[in-house]
Amino acid sequence: MSEEGEPPASDERALTDWQRLSPWAMGLMLVTAGLSLVRQHLPLLLAAVAGLTLVEHIGWREVGGAAALLLLLGGALCLLYYRRFRFRLDEDVLVIQKGLFEHREFKVAARHVQHIAVHQPLYLRPFDVVQWQVETLAGEASRIELPGIRRGQADALGRRLQADGPGNDRGEAPVEGLTGEPDAVAPSASRVRYALPPRALALHGLTSRSIYVIAAVLSPLVRPLERWLHDRLPQLDLLAWLPASPLVAVGLGLVAVLLVLAALAVLAAWWRFHGYVLRDDGERQVQVSGLFHRQEQALSLARLQVVEWVQTGLGRLLGRGYLVCHQFGSQGGGAAESRRFLVPGLTLTESERLIGELWPGGDRLPPLSRVSRLYRRVLWLRILLGLGAGVGGLILLVGAPPLPPWGWAMLAASLVGLGGGAAELRWRALGWARRGAYLYVRQGLWGQRTSVFPLPHLISLSLRQSWLQRRRSLATLELQVANGRLTLPFLEEPLARALADQLLASVESATERFPETRRRSACVARR
Amino acid sequence: MTFHNEAIDPEALPSLAAVPLTPVSPRLAPCQAILVLVRWLLITAVVLLFPVRDEALALWQPWLAAGAGGLGLIAMTLGWVEARRRAYGLREHDLIYRRGLLVRRTQVLPLVRLQHVESLSNPVERAFGLVRLACFTAGGRGADLVLEGLPTQRAEAVKQHLLARLSGTPPEPRQTEESP
Repeated sequence: MSEEGEPPASDERALTDWQRLSPWAMGLMLVTAGLSLVRQHLPLLLAAVAGLTLVEHIGWREVGGAAALLLLLGGALCLLYYRRFRFRLDEDVLVIQKGLFEHREFKVAARHVQHIAVHQPLYLRPFDVVQWQVETLAGEASRIELPGIRRGQADALGRRLQADGPGNDRGEAPVEGLTGEPDAVAPSASRVRYALPPRALALHGLTSRSIYVIAAVLSPLVRPLERWLHDRLPQLDLLAWLPASPLVAVGLGLVAVLLVLAALAVLAAWWRFHGYVLRDDGERQVQVSGLFHRQEQALSLARLQVVEWVQTGLGRLLGRGYLVCHQFGSQGGGAAESRRFLVPGLTLTESERLIGELWPGGDRLPPLSRVSRLYRRVLWLRILLGLGAGVGGLILLVGAPPLPPWGWAMLAASLVGLGGGAAELRWRALGWARRGAYLYVRQGLWGQRTSVFPLPHLISLSLRQSWLQRRRSLATLELQVANGRLTLPFLEEPLARALADQLLASVESATERFPETRRRSACVARR
Repeated sequence: MTFHNEAIDPEALPSLAAVPLTPVSPRLAPCQAILVLVRWLLITAVVLLFPVRDEALALWQPWLAAGAGGLGLIAMTLGWVEARRRAYGLREHDLIYRRGLLVRRTQVLPLVRLQHVESLSNPVERAFGLVRLACFTAGGRGADLVLEGLPTQRAEAVKQHLLARLSGTPPEPRQTEESP
């Protein structure tokens, strides 16, 4: 099973022959497929269980028999899948053959690999088995998984694919000089770039979005909890320790809820980022983290497209944020962020140092230029229209509240003030700067995201002008980059055109030298 | 590997504003008008035939349908004028497409980012002999640039030019590309 004593070179040599998954992978597949089925069909399953309880002639024996039969069937299918699944390295191409009813063959060339991830759930640690995933330039949709191979094999595969990849022996880094120090190409001994200290881990938990996610997940429990409190509260002698003032009691309750949410958010961060270490392995940047479910992600510097410095509102108050390293196909918003290459719990100085290490010259966020003041007015109008429509809709639904004329005036004034404040915040948050070969774009309202990318990493752009913008000689520049669209609204037209010309000249002159970034990532063929 | 940061003279850069764009086929305007008309006819029919039980509201139903029809006519006219103003440009290193009437949008796709090209046409476009070219880049979830209103032969020539750039072979001479 485990062959820890075996030197890694033998694993690499063995990869040229057909390899099978670890036998433990069958158990893993059974567990993950079972959990996935239950998760996807939970209402159906609950309805079936409820129906079965009503049928008198079906007892525990029958249910147990059916479960055993299902388990047997699942085990047989897993065994068949295991037998059909094999993989090998054909020079620098990973060949995978799999399929239960339909036989499929996948080929992934090393030069198309952009991201490798290794997962090790707690129950697989004793067997030294990991789940290995590879992603190509096509992004998350192209992910191919080896569901259970030995740790040594996973390491050897990662080394071989990323050693043969871009920026190494081929000298095909997409942007010359952007991938680091003179020794960045040589697979030198890895050094720790960043380790997450416990205080930073706790602060990351507090300032990340997981606090809102946890609140949303727990929100369905509010009504049952309310009912329970309503039933149980009169029986408990709470008056002895509850504060006399109802307002203080409610305030204390809210503080308690916030504390529980904060504690859960810190626990979630601990679960995900315990022992977080970012290692510099030459061209590869490797991060390892996880309390029970260990995750290892490797990022090729040659594939790095955009680095994003993210600070939530609370994060700005506490001076913490995180970096997200984007590659091709990494669109999908915040929901997909957990799967991305993320460096948590950073201060601004640390983030600037890390960006500088990833991209020399890209460090120290420069002072950003604001867009035209007219944009603030346009934003104000848009927000006012939205608020007005919202209030109008509410009045139509529930009827107008009995307010005196001065009450309506106060409501209108507060809406105008609210809109003005939000527009001002959004306008102030929006900024951009070009320094050397890099463009910096910041967006947000209360929380802020600053994208940093070398000019040649632009995918496409568009220049938009409304009737009003044409009259005022303004233009909106939309930049399509690996993590989505970045918009620079209401720039002076000559400036927008000059920036567009510079960006196009950069991308067209730089990428000409590195045509490998143009080709499709994986070749999928059916047998 | 060394870090380069060469100075570029902004005046020497090719300017996007100076590119002469080629108008798309004039047949795109009636094609778009028909497509918009069909859409609005459907909406008008739904408004006219929707079963309304309230008698007072039922009296207004033909007028509402007429309003929808009027909006359709305005949309059709705007669509016609907008289609006449669309243009595209093919430079050595990028593809440019300009569209829009009130909000004008110029989209530029560097050819080095191109991954694959698809040609598409619906029955109305086929009746007018028009083809759409959808250009895709790496990692995207949809087409990054859709070039509408190209005559079939021109679309094929543009497609062949883009595919030649994609495969790394030098583009054919412009005369061959533009010949019908």
